[in-house]
Amino acid sequence: MAEAAAIRTADLTKTFGATTALAGLDLEVPRGEIIGYLGPNGAGKTTTIRLLLGLIRPAAGRAEIFGTDCTADPVGAHRRVAYVPGDVSLWPSLTGAETLHLLGRVHGSVDVAYRDLLLERFEFDPAKKVRTYSKGNRQKLVLIAALMTRAELLLLDEPTSGLDPLMERAFQQCVAEARERGQTVFLSSHILAEVEALCDRVAILRDGRLVEVGTLAEMRHLSALQIDAEMDGGVPDVARLPGVSAVDVDGNRLRCHVTGSIEPLLAALAAAGVRHLTSREPSLEELFLAHYGSGAERSADAA
Amino acid sequence: MRRSGTDAYTERHATSAVARTTARRVARPAALWGLVFGATIAATMASYSSTFSTAASRADLVAVTEGNVAFSALFGPIHHIDTVAGYTAYKVSMTLIILGAIWGLLIATRVQRGEEDTGGWELLLSGLTTRARAAWQAALGLGVGLAVLWVPTAVLAMAAGRSSKVDIDASACVYFATAVVSVVAMFMAIGMFIGQLAASRHHANVIGAGVIAAAYLLRMVADSGSGLAWLRWASPLGWFEQLRPLTGSHPIAFLPILGLTAAFAAGSVVLAGRRDLGASAMRGRDRPRPRTALLGGQAGLTVRLTRPAVLGWLFALGATGLAMGLVTQSAGTALKGSPTLERVLGRLGGDRAGAVLYLGYVFVVAAGLVAIAVAGQISAIRNEEEAGRLDNMLVRPVARGQWLGVRVGVGLALVLLASALAGVAAWIGAVSQHSDVGFGELVRAGLNVAPPGVFVLGVGALAFGVVPRISIAFTYGVVIWSYLVEVLSAITDSNHWLRDTSPLLHIAPAPAAAPDWASASWLIGLGLVAALAGLAAFARRDLAGS
Repeated sequence: MAEAAAIRTADLTKTFGATTALAGLDLEVPRGEIIGYLGPNGAGKTTTIRLLLGLIRPAAGRAEIFGTDCTADPVGAHRRVAYVPGDVSLWPSLTGAETLHLLGRVHGSVDVAYRDLLLERFEFDPAKKVRTYSKGNRQKLVLIAALMTRAELLLLDEPTSGLDPLMERAFQQCVAEARERGQTVFLSSHILAEVEALCDRVAILRDGRLVEVGTLAEMRHLSALQIDAEMDGGVPDVARLPGVSAVDVDGNRLRCHVTGSIEPLLAALAAAGVRHLTSREPSLEELFLAHYGSGAERSADAA
Repeated sequence: MRRSGTDAYTERHATSAVARTTARRVARPAALWGLVFGATIAATMASYSSTFSTAASRADLVAVTEGNVAFSALFGPIHHIDTVAGYTAYKVSMTLIILGAIWGLLIATRVQRGEEDTGGWELLLSGLTTRARAAWQAALGLGVGLAVLWVPTAVLAMAAGRSSKVDIDASACVYFATAVVSVVAMFMAIGMFIGQLAASRHHANVIGAGVIAAAYLLRMVADSGSGLAWLRWASPLGWFEQLRPLTGSHPIAFLPILGLTAAFAAGSVVLAGRRDLGASAMRGRDRPRPRTALLGGQAGLTVRLTRPAVLGWLFALGATGLAMGLVTQSAGTALKGSPTLERVLGRLGGDRAGAVLYLGYVFVVAAGLVAIAVAGQISAIRNEEEAGRLDNMLVRPVARGQWLGVRVGVGLALVLLASALAGVAAWIGAVSQHSDVGFGELVRAGLNVAPPGVFVLGVGALAFGVVPRISIAFTYGVVIWSYLVEVLSAITDSNHWLRDTSPLLHIAPAPAAAPDWASASWLIGLGLVAALAGLAAFARRDLAGS
């Protein structure tokens, strides 16, 4: 029998009154994959994670973690999961060390040597009371609490919010180690460079719907290539060529986007005499903004 | 530079935001407590003429209470008790000012230090205000709360006073309401001040509870006929007694009350302006030695988190039991000469005489305290969820039923321990005064107050499972309703349908009567069924944050 995926959702839907926070999410995350989960605020990212954790119940559909139904058997699912919330709330009267001790015991297993390494790597002082920690230090505390368990699946919701760039690098090192150990990582983040650097695949959510999922290479392949050209003479009329859009002509300079085959455009430009030509794949930020922007524009149009 | 009208309005609006926010948060509980205070005063006034309808019964009351040190030490000095005004002042004053002092302290630390602890204050201070100005604004907001508290207290007292059988001047009622509310104002100011000194709201509450206890003990000594009556001037609660509401007003005592309130409120504003946000003059230990003995799992964590409140309540119930026991002999002797008082206490179900009848009556007070302690546990349960700390447990292999079950179990243990302790402490107090009451009899009387607590715990857990956002208000509402019906039933022959709605009235007034184990079993059974239904509902709902 094939091994169950780390995460599998089928038609997963959540409504809050008249608002649909998540609509029919179908997503499968194989074991060992690092997936980035993107979307603007209110897109349904945290709702997805809370459904996976069984903290809220779906209106329809189901979610499974390693084949265990998250709603019917949340405790079974939690044995294989570690979670880092974006909004940290801990017991202010406990110290950092006491909190780590407690959370480790409740989870059931802790790699003590790795915990000590994490304390050092994140330069975290566990002797102080939680109420005295800054936001960044509280974030470090929950990160260490999750990572020290070496859980098979890490659900990370904005895990680096409040961390400085050095600590962010330490976090990326931890995720790289998790990949080497075969752990699965579900990373919801607004730091696109982080997602671009770490993730095998990216899923983009908008208004509670999954609008894009795939590897960055696949997404770039499907997305427009940006072409900048400087012509010897005049710029030919390329606007009607297949796949060409966003044509911008300034003197003998041309900027446009091409989706699909670039050959017709290259042929037209070569025939007209091209002096200099560059092409650039979109960054994750541009891909994200392309999806997000169309939503914003649509809202503006509706208004 | 001259600002435009809109800018000036916006800034004025922004700087008063703290006052408005505080006033909004305080107004609702203030109105609720005002209704409780007013209803208690009105019901006591209204009951006097029916309870003591003849000159003989009033003379009898004077004979029983006059010069009785035990009564005045516990509830304050007795003046003109053969009048409705004197009886009302004696019967309700101490209860109202103690409740008012506790509420004033808790609400003041909540809206300031509590907000600071949770980070809400930081957000407010990032606006067009300063730390000192925000503290001043919060004080104004609390002042609005005092006004809201005063209105129903005064109006209900005046309404009862207008009755021909009561006939108390509106001005006397206003004076009484003002005197009660002035105590609340003092302890609000004390709460604000301590909140600036302490390391956390919890720390401030512990210190404030100590201040209330010290104030009570000082006046207790002053009222015990020991020649130390001047000590009343050393206690804020003694100042209230010096005001002599309803029994010959002495408004001069408002001076120290006003002085203390103004000094502590001003001091809190000054301290707020001088210290860093989150800092304190009395710093707790920020780097204590780790204590992990109880942190092996959720049950241990629950014990550790609830330990201060549980120990506080156990101390309170123990002290209450001891105080009740200490005056048993004296009260019992006095009651033997008063058929009227025996009839009053007997209305609650007692069928015996003397000391045990008195204890049967006062153990109902212990039942009320246990129910309040239980409501506090429901509040703590909901706060864990609302603040998001519960997520830390439920994203790990902890079942919801297990989590809530442990919390309810701690509440159950609190009910049983506090009840038994009240009985044992009452026995110790009674025996020390050579009162002839048995150990087993008083332990049974103590345990007899547990069933209403179990019932409140059960319905509180059910409310938490079904309607989490209103579960705290609902549970406290059940306790307050039970108390009001109990007060009403103690002083009038109330309708049995009304009586049936109060769990406090479903227990026999042991040791004045034998415990009614059948009714107790029903209360416990219903409480446990409700708790189980609450567990089931909690397992099937979404977590609900703030």
